[in-house]
Amino acid sequence: MSGESKELRRLVIKAYHVKEAVWGSENRVSEDGIMTVDRGSVQKYREKESDYIADISVRIIRPEEREQYTNTIMDVIPISAKVLGNIGDGITHTLTGVYVILTGVDTEGKQTHEFGSSEGMLSQQMKFGRAGTPGERDMILAFDVTMKKGMGQIRAGVTAAHRACDQFVQEYREQLKKFHGNRCTERHEFYDVVRPGKKKVLIIKQVAGQGAMYDMHLFAKEPSGVEGGRSIIDMGNMPVLVTPNEYRDGILRSMQ
Amino acid sequence: MGIGPSTKETTLHNFRDPLLDVVSSDEDLDLMGILIVGTPQDQEDKILVGTRAAVWAEGMRADGVIISADGWGNSDVDFTNTIEQLGKREIPVVGIHFTGTAAQFVVTNPYMDTIVDMNKNPEGVETNVVGENAVDSMDARKAAAMLKLKMRKK
Repeated sequence: MSGESKELRRLVIKAYHVKEAVWGSENRVSEDGIMTVDRGSVQKYREKESDYIADISVRIIRPEEREQYTNTIMDVIPISAKVLGNIGDGITHTLTGVYVILTGVDTEGKQTHEFGSSEGMLSQQMKFGRAGTPGERDMILAFDVTMKKGMGQIRAGVTAAHRACDQFVQEYREQLKKFHGNRCTERHEFYDVVRPGKKKVLIIKQVAGQGAMYDMHLFAKEPSGVEGGRSIIDMGNMPVLVTPNEYRDGILRSMQ
Repeated sequence: MGIGPSTKETTLHNFRDPLLDVVSSDEDLDLMGILIVGTPQDQEDKILVGTRAAVWAEGMRADGVIISADGWGNSDVDFTNTIEQLGKREIPVVGIHFTGTAAQFVVTNPYMDTIVDMNKNPEGVETNVVGENAVDSMDARKAAAMLKLKMRKK
């Protein structure tokens, strides 16, 4: 039996391209594609996580500036914000042209990784232009966390680094939410669909859940966010079903 | 053993995952959803959660499953068990895994005849280069094509 495909719900992702990122007196992003970063702003996030974090610094890395040392890359994060609806439907705004990398080390020089680590020359340690990495011409905001001794090897410390980074990103999300819908540079529509009569396929994603830096969060309030997320470890590593639109709206946050 | 930088799926990867793009846009397939399953440390737990994933697939009357893992070594126990549990339930399954030369399976089972190796490095090793070996759209297309063949043969 074969029939008409049925659309269940719609997700619209509107992208706004950032042309330039520069230092400024506040963390700002505007519809005209200019981003400013306040170098000192990250200290307030360190203070909130002072049990785990000794220091945080942020760097703007332009495409031609990748010949520089980086600590191990814990994650690459898009800056996206929910404008209307919940994760998986409604409207999401996201920035293109700039991505956040979260990097980490502890005060003893121990990199925040276990099974191979990616510290070294940034130009050599990342394959640019892949699904999970910035493109050749993208700018990078490097959010570099120095953990207190040993804290980069335990789950609470790694989670604290992600949380601090998320709060920094949230400053931009709050502004991105208010961008005028018609001024986006790209617009993508996605539907969760049922295709009656076609082969029913399930994707199973086996994700990290062993503890320490191996963890995966789901269900954060913001796309690709941390705040409000649930750890797969805390859910007993049991299988959890998400819709295609929830998935592509950033319902997962890779903590490992 | 765990997840290395070259296979690790970053948050950005999950936001624009090639596997989801390929499967969801294929009009011959009715994608029911994405089942996220963790990788516990404890052996008994590994078998438990993977088996529950297979029970879900059976209960949903899945005609086929694509299972992907971005880690290897310790997590191969989970991966091989879940594939076996799906196979025993007569659900065609294709795996996506980093194998290369470094991560050959220690234990296999009869249902592991269709595994796409996401390795892209000539030496087949973990290179510590972020993004190098992670799943791309070619891997995803191979997996979808293999699954279609396997479902047709059934």
